[in-house]
Amino acid sequence: MIRSALALLFLCVALPQFGFAHGGVVEEDDICVIKVNYLRAHFKIYQPRVTAHEQFCEDLPAASESVFVMEYMHDALQAMPIEFRIVRNATGKGRFARMEHVAAIEDLEAETVYFHSAVVEPDVYTIAHTFEEEGDFIGIVSATNQDTGEVYAAVFPFEVGFTGWGYWPLLIGLLVLIQVQYLAMSGRLRRWFGRAGPAVLLLGVTLLHMPHGAHAAEFVVTYSTPDGAPGINRMQSWILHVETVEGVPVEGAEIEVDGGMPAHNHGLPTKPRVTRDLGGGDYRLDGMRFHMRGYWEIVVTIRREGIEEAVVVPLTL
Amino acid sequence: MSIRPVTLAALLISVVAAAWLVLRWDAEPRTWSAESVAVLESLSLASLPPLPPDPTNAVADNPLAVELGRRLFFDTRFSANGRVSCATCHQPERRFTDGLPKGVGIGMSRRNTPSIVGTAYSPWLYWDGRRDSQWSQALAPLEDPAEHASNRLMTIAILVEDKEYWGIYKALFGEASGVDTMYANVGKAIAAFERTIMPTTSKFDRYVAAVVAGDEAQQAALFTEDEVRGLRLFIGEANCTQCHNGPLLTNNEFHNTGLINFAGEVPDKGRVAGVREVLEHPFNCRSRHSDDPGKGCAELDFARTGAELIGAFRTPSLRNLDTTAPYGHKGQIATLGDMLIHYNLAPEAMIGHNEAEPLNLSARELAHLEAFLLTLSAPFTMAGDAP
Repeated sequence: MIRSALALLFLCVALPQFGFAHGGVVEEDDICVIKVNYLRAHFKIYQPRVTAHEQFCEDLPAASESVFVMEYMHDALQAMPIEFRIVRNATGKGRFARMEHVAAIEDLEAETVYFHSAVVEPDVYTIAHTFEEEGDFIGIVSATNQDTGEVYAAVFPFEVGFTGWGYWPLLIGLLVLIQVQYLAMSGRLRRWFGRAGPAVLLLGVTLLHMPHGAHAAEFVVTYSTPDGAPGINRMQSWILHVETVEGVPVEGAEIEVDGGMPAHNHGLPTKPRVTRDLGGGDYRLDGMRFHMRGYWEIVVTIRREGIEEAVVVPLTL
Repeated sequence: MSIRPVTLAALLISVVAAAWLVLRWDAEPRTWSAESVAVLESLSLASLPPLPPDPTNAVADNPLAVELGRRLFFDTRFSANGRVSCATCHQPERRFTDGLPKGVGIGMSRRNTPSIVGTAYSPWLYWDGRRDSQWSQALAPLEDPAEHASNRLMTIAILVEDKEYWGIYKALFGEASGVDTMYANVGKAIAAFERTIMPTTSKFDRYVAAVVAGDEAQQAALFTEDEVRGLRLFIGEANCTQCHNGPLLTNNEFHNTGLINFAGEVPDKGRVAGVREVLEHPFNCRSRHSDDPGKGCAELDFARTGAELIGAFRTPSLRNLDTTAPYGHKGQIATLGDMLIHYNLAPEAMIGHNEAEPLNLSARELAHLEAFLLTLSAPFTMAGDAP
């Protein structure tokens, strides 16, 4: 809530300052995003000892243990060394501090309260720092493009302990947001706007994969399980049988298999794959395993002669 | 103003009727549908299949290896200060855990000490599954600076100098060979012992037997109404069996359940990093130290990788929760009650995505679940005794 309100403030007063050459933190579609040049990542901060799982976008309520998390939206960041520095805001520019103001700080080391040298973090970038005092700080995230040697940086001023009084005019905005938040939490928003659940997503993916027009619903997939009926927690091999809708076996197709539980928003526990074309439209599929009872969807993508179609095989365990 | 007797009587009758209704509604039916009975049976220890062979370990079921492994397990000489053994953290009296948030050997280890009971059934070892056999797992703590802080050469030196150990070793594996091979053999002996650490029949398993037999008197003698209520929630509304399924109450897979970070540490990445490690590890199923490299390593071949596994950890068994607190991969959660509150709220994960959904159960229902969970505790069996 506070996060949203502060972000709103930030959007109103600070957004025009950022986003061009250097990047910063902005709120997009109710998630906080950091822009490091053209590279973007979800950005969130936790103060787990004080506010448990509550997320903050920039300003933090207390001088306490703070965990900064960047979840990459751009794959390039996975391979780039990322450096993280937090300095006291000695620019005199407060919330309007930008890269050039930071560069003008005479002794950056002396103002630095946290520094993590550049590391490649392939999955998610996290740092933890315990603030010992309240005040104004600036976060500086730098990522190095290893091909060009170019360093991209994002600068975001933030406050620890909410010492300022600048938020009063936003109380009204806050109240509006509380209402929105309340509606969201009570599920009303979800009801109004429908729930774009994973099932819809899966359907969407399936539709996307479908070739246009007459080629839709080209193939029919059935399966058999020679080593017993599908169960949970054991590795199995399946025999997939692929036919055209006219009943002609499909031989020599390229087949990919994935799947998951739409209700739980997760995939299969393994990465199964077709290991042999048995002829007659039969394919041996190895590495099938389920780890939960319930409704599963196995997505079989078939490619042959320029036609690609994803067939969803439903299965309830 | 006085109340007329008729009004009073009507009032009394309605109060009694209301109370009766409330009590009736609250009464827990003790019968189970055929479908539920099938689920209960699938969770019972009676459904546990025979221990699958470990083709990567030629001495996995060799009694001599079990004996050597048992002695190695409790031997504190295999550590930098001569005071740390496997049993320092894996204490038999706590069902092979240590009661601490994170294990303490020479230093503090990375994660909570998991139990060993029944782990021979798991394709993956460690909270993040960074090993794919018990023997390769057993080797890691010996060289971990925070645990035994020993090394391969020191381990082999102690083995060779101890006449009894060396005698058994030679009978099992032959003369001295390469350091890594001998070191792997040490792990294989320890694993042979660990394979014998198994759960035994709990009150829950006896209850399921009574349900299957239709013995209502026995059912009532074994389970209180609250335990029955808890069990009904466990296999129903509380969604526990999504992950805690099968007779060991675990699917041995990896899930993000949104646990909070350990104080002062960044959130643990879990499986996403663990799977990367196991795929490359020099003691994995595909390595030259595996005793059956031709057999194929289906678990590694079909292992899932990627962002879905950020912050995911292996589902722990729910047998023996009474002596295995604190809970979670960093021991973040002190009590069973707190863990149930965590699942009831299912907060957003700090990293990755919490797969659990809020349960919105009442405090009473959580208490019932807790009562049921404690019926899963039972002693374990193992080859030989702790010295």
